[in-house]
Amino acid sequence: MATIGAHGITARLPSGFEGRIFVRPASVGVTYPVGQFATFPIPDDIGDFGSGAVTVMGPSDVFATLFEYGPESVGSALFAQQGRPSALAASDFSPMTLRRGIPGQSGTQWFFTESGRPFSFYAVLGSHALRTALVPHVNTLLASLTLSPAVSDLPAARPRWN
Amino acid sequence: MVALVIVSTFVVLLLGILVAGLLRSHADILRALHDLGAGVGDPAVAPGVTTAVAAPVTLATPASAPALGAAPTVAGVTPTGDARAIAVDNTDDFTLLGFLSSGCTGCAAFWDALQEPGRLQLPDRTRVVIVTKGPDREVPSEVQARTTGQVPVVMSTDAWVDYQVPGSPFFVLVDGATGHKVGQGVASQVGQLAELVRRAEHDRGRAGGGRGRGEASPDGPAREAAADEVLAAAGIFPGDPSLYPRTLDDLFPHGGAVRAE
Repeated sequence: MATIGAHGITARLPSGFEGRIFVRPASVGVTYPVGQFATFPIPDDIGDFGSGAVTVMGPSDVFATLFEYGPESVGSALFAQQGRPSALAASDFSPMTLRRGIPGQSGTQWFFTESGRPFSFYAVLGSHALRTALVPHVNTLLASLTLSPAVSDLPAARPRWN
Repeated sequence: MVALVIVSTFVVLLLGILVAGLLRSHADILRALHDLGAGVGDPAVAPGVTTAVAAPVTLATPASAPALGAAPTVAGVTPTGDARAIAVDNTDDFTLLGFLSSGCTGCAAFWDALQEPGRLQLPDRTRVVIVTKGPDREVPSEVQARTTGQVPVVMSTDAWVDYQVPGSPFFVLVDGATGHKVGQGVASQVGQLAELVRRAEHDRGRAGGGRGRGEASPDGPAREAAADEVLAAAGIFPGDPSLYPRTLDDLFPHGGAVRAE
């Protein structure tokens, strides 16, 4: 079981998962950490929420993104929930919750604040019909994440673009 | 006088033994270099003529792949300080791990070639990953200077330990279908890597490998055409009412409808 960590996010990856935690270079403004995790090889040039990845995943695959928003989002209604969801149910996934609607797939998205940092957790199942079997993998991944308070290497601590 | 002769003879014998040892050591080094494909002065080869040299690349067949052991996930950081983990057992395809160093002269050609898959002429869908030692043993900025962004570069000393890498350059080929190493060793020429992968692919083809994860979904027009073909085969043509669901129950008629978020 591999463990990766950067930018105040640590993931103890479940078997079969790979992942990356990165901060996208900002041409303008400030960018924040993104964690991407999948049960299939993650292409290098995909969007934050998996565009370019969800089209190559198989029916038995899972893709998930942990996306951090700026500190100005803390305290807003969207991020009012404290802490990540403890366990997702199969009924939490819907074909209507996909950033890009791909027949057969389904997704879920949650907004929350943890360790003083606002996050969105977005997960895609390769097959909605297999959701009962796939959701436990998402829950294992979710439970493996450790989100630390903002640390010095986080963009929030960098000088703001002027 | 007799004592002087005896001492001189002893010294000459001692020096002779030392010279013989040095010559033998030199021969061992030359032989090792030759095995690595860097041999010089081979009288059988005309000056300026290069020939393919057998490199110590071992390649096991899929049937004996477990002998090389399971291939663990490569986890570490990128030269820019991000985190990256590459699982090599989550695909039916091959993954070629290139263990390189930023400062090794023998690695230079592989840094360039591995980041240009077209130049390497690897079989389609072969994933290439470059693994250097971690930031505790490598200078990230020097690794970054050699990185083009075309393939993942992971800095991980743990991976070098896990894969028992003796030195760089070193290569490991993993069959994602089994999660096992099917080849590993040192290559002296870029072309040997492609040959390594092709041989493994050929061997797996004969052995009927793969666990049927399926091909990647087509995208764009190819996807649309594939969908049209499947629908037509099922007797569903443009205008069919089933193509225009009004409720989720139309999509999941057997009680599988879920609440829209």
